[in-house]
Amino acid sequence: MKALILVGGFGTRLRPLTLSVPKPLVDFANKPMILHQIEALKAIGVTEVVLAINYQPEIMLNFLKEFEKKLDIKITCSQETEPLGTAGPLALARDKLIDGSGEPFFVLNSDVISEYPLKEMIDFHKGHGGEASIMVTKVDEPSKYGVVVMEETTGKVEKFVEKPKIFVGNKINAGIYLLNPSVLDRIELRPTSIEKEVFPMIAGENKLYAMVLPGFWMDIGQPKDYITGLRLYLDSLRKKSSAELEAGSNIVGNVLVDESAVIGQGCLIGPDVAIGPGCIIESGVRLSRCTIMRGVRIKKHACISSSIIGWHSTVGRWARVENMTILGEDVHLGDEVYSNGGVVLPHKEIKSSILKPEIVM
Amino acid sequence: MESSDQEKAVAVIMVGGPTKGTRFRPLSFNTPKPLFPLAGQPMVHHPISACKRLPNLAHIFLIGFYEEREFALYVSSISSELKVPVRYLKEDKPHGSAGGLYYFRNIIMEDNPSHVFLLNCDVCCSFPLTEMLEAHKRYGGMGTVLVIKVSAESANQFGELVADTITNELLHYTEKPETFVSDLINCGVYIFTPDVFTAIQEVSTHREGQANIRHLSSFETLQSPTRALPVDFIRLDQDILSPFAGKKQLYTYETMDFWEQIKTPGMSVKCSGLYLAQFRLTSPHLLAAGDGTKSATIVGDVYVHPSAKVHPTAKIGPSVSISANVRVGAGVRLISCIILDDVEVQENAVVINSIVGWKSSIGKWSRVQADGDYNAKLGITILGEAVTVEDEVVVINSIVLPNKTLNLSVQDEIIL
Repeated sequence: MKALILVGGFGTRLRPLTLSVPKPLVDFANKPMILHQIEALKAIGVTEVVLAINYQPEIMLNFLKEFEKKLDIKITCSQETEPLGTAGPLALARDKLIDGSGEPFFVLNSDVISEYPLKEMIDFHKGHGGEASIMVTKVDEPSKYGVVVMEETTGKVEKFVEKPKIFVGNKINAGIYLLNPSVLDRIELRPTSIEKEVFPMIAGENKLYAMVLPGFWMDIGQPKDYITGLRLYLDSLRKKSSAELEAGSNIVGNVLVDESAVIGQGCLIGPDVAIGPGCIIESGVRLSRCTIMRGVRIKKHACISSSIIGWHSTVGRWARVENMTILGEDVHLGDEVYSNGGVVLPHKEIKSSILKPEIVM
Repeated sequence: MESSDQEKAVAVIMVGGPTKGTRFRPLSFNTPKPLFPLAGQPMVHHPISACKRLPNLAHIFLIGFYEEREFALYVSSISSELKVPVRYLKEDKPHGSAGGLYYFRNIIMEDNPSHVFLLNCDVCCSFPLTEMLEAHKRYGGMGTVLVIKVSAESANQFGELVADTITNELLHYTEKPETFVSDLINCGVYIFTPDVFTAIQEVSTHREGQANIRHLSSFETLQSPTRALPVDFIRLDQDILSPFAGKKQLYTYETMDFWEQIKTPGMSVKCSGLYLAQFRLTSPHLLAAGDGTKSATIVGDVYVHPSAKVHPTAKIGPSVSISANVRVGAGVRLISCIILDDVEVQENAVVINSIVGWKSSIGKWSRVQADGDYNAKLGITILGEAVTVEDEVVVINSIVLPNKTLNLSVQDEIIL
């Protein structure tokens, strides 16, 4: 079985992190974002994953060789030479997705984190016999997104409404699709939107069905949602395999710590914290609702909340970091510095406090 | 008596490196700062051309931390264009401004030059090297420093010098002092005779001796307020100019022309303008001309690359530089800006006090502008590589990182 992951462009909303690596390789819960999806696909028997990219293929290809070996799954790239929108890349990868078996293929959006109930989706798709299935998820503020209006019992999709002004429904496109190969016949090799052009066409023929995603869903393409997404992910991990989470007198709530990380005495870690490989958390440190990426050193008595600390950075003694502070790769926050929402680009030293949210280039 | 034919000169241009390059973001994401164009030519080209005007110039060396491949193309093309060997030397680690010169002394002295010119790449000035050399020969010292008078208030951002008004000897030098010392500052352009290498060697040996003494008294080391510097890290200002001042070894030459440091992207607009104004005097054929009939209306000093296409109804200038393959549409107005390669400026757009990055697109009737305060963080609007400003959008006093599309107006913002 095959799958396509829409990786897309420059990941500008996740800057400064994406100034150092392409977005799919940004770590989430101590694993490159795209690895979460590739593992979920592998688990239900997908044998080949195609990545639709338009940026930095060389860096991606190196990592992919590593994953290919480790996971024993074939990974290839399909590179756009001009932006093809959300449906065009499928046409571009046509030859890789169709193998004559007639089996449907998955399409995933690389920014999405969820529980990936892909087996259930296959059963759903076979059950309704339509041409395409999409996952939808319930949200509180549907007018921020594109709403999928569907029949509640069968899941048959009636129409899509982009950013509706009045309430038409509270289910939005979750960015996970299971499509029959015939869908590719509807997509031309040009910039095309799957939501605005392709799906409405299929829905019009009563062949598009939506399944409500059980469990959490988050588009982690921007820092605020990345932090919320970690909370949801760790919550889900607590239910499924709580042994992976950290336990101890210095741990509060859900905390994920890589085995090679070191945590000192007198720390209080959590809730909703992920600490990456090779990190050194010195004594007396307080961490909550934050991600500490690979190779970071947090010095004594520092206090970090609601922030992301990028690879190989350091946070000084008694520093206080909060309110959506994002430190890029190799950023060094001096002792006693306060950062309130500072967004710092890679390779910087911060010696004075950032009192209100600011971008430091 | 040696004839002047025997007196060879070499030039060393310090180009810096990526560790110091964060101030030049977002432009430095795409190009090393020394290769960023000012008045249509890479920044480092201006001191290089000035050196080329010297008689008996044997070699030009660029010293920096950038990877060799970043300069390989430029160095080979400029060598054949100017018919003088230009070579890039990569420092493996920081040696300080004088240490770098010392580290490569064998290569620098290969041609047996009688004079070594040392220039900083991020200095924008008229580089009066020939006159400075004549003065240096008259003084007969080890080195001559190019100096300029600035306002008393701004002097403390630089190295301040006191010079004897009659002999022009350098009497006193201090780097960024807290109190007022002098309104004469160090321009970052020097001429040395080869004995400067001996002087640097002395400093290095002395420091080694000091380090050994400190070694014996560890208590002293704890008390010392300054970190001990490695023996091969020699700063030109503090370690050579300061101690040798007042010993009849160092002299000054004052320039009355313009001088600026190109530390931030905003300053590159100002410096591009200064070089364009200089072209008016030294090479007016490089500047564009037009009155709106067959070609666009040109006001003031403007450079347009031969491959760029500018619509005759556009009005360009003053102080505008347009790079290769740029397309400027009908009715466009450009003032005080740098338009980089492959940019498309569509009809009736206005760009003022800005830098438009490579391959960007400026929409119809859109307006990209800034106050023009070169020292303010957002005083010049900068669009990184491949930024699209959609039709009728206004961008004021902002910095936009590469690959962004602006479909809403923004003001006073950094867009990541």
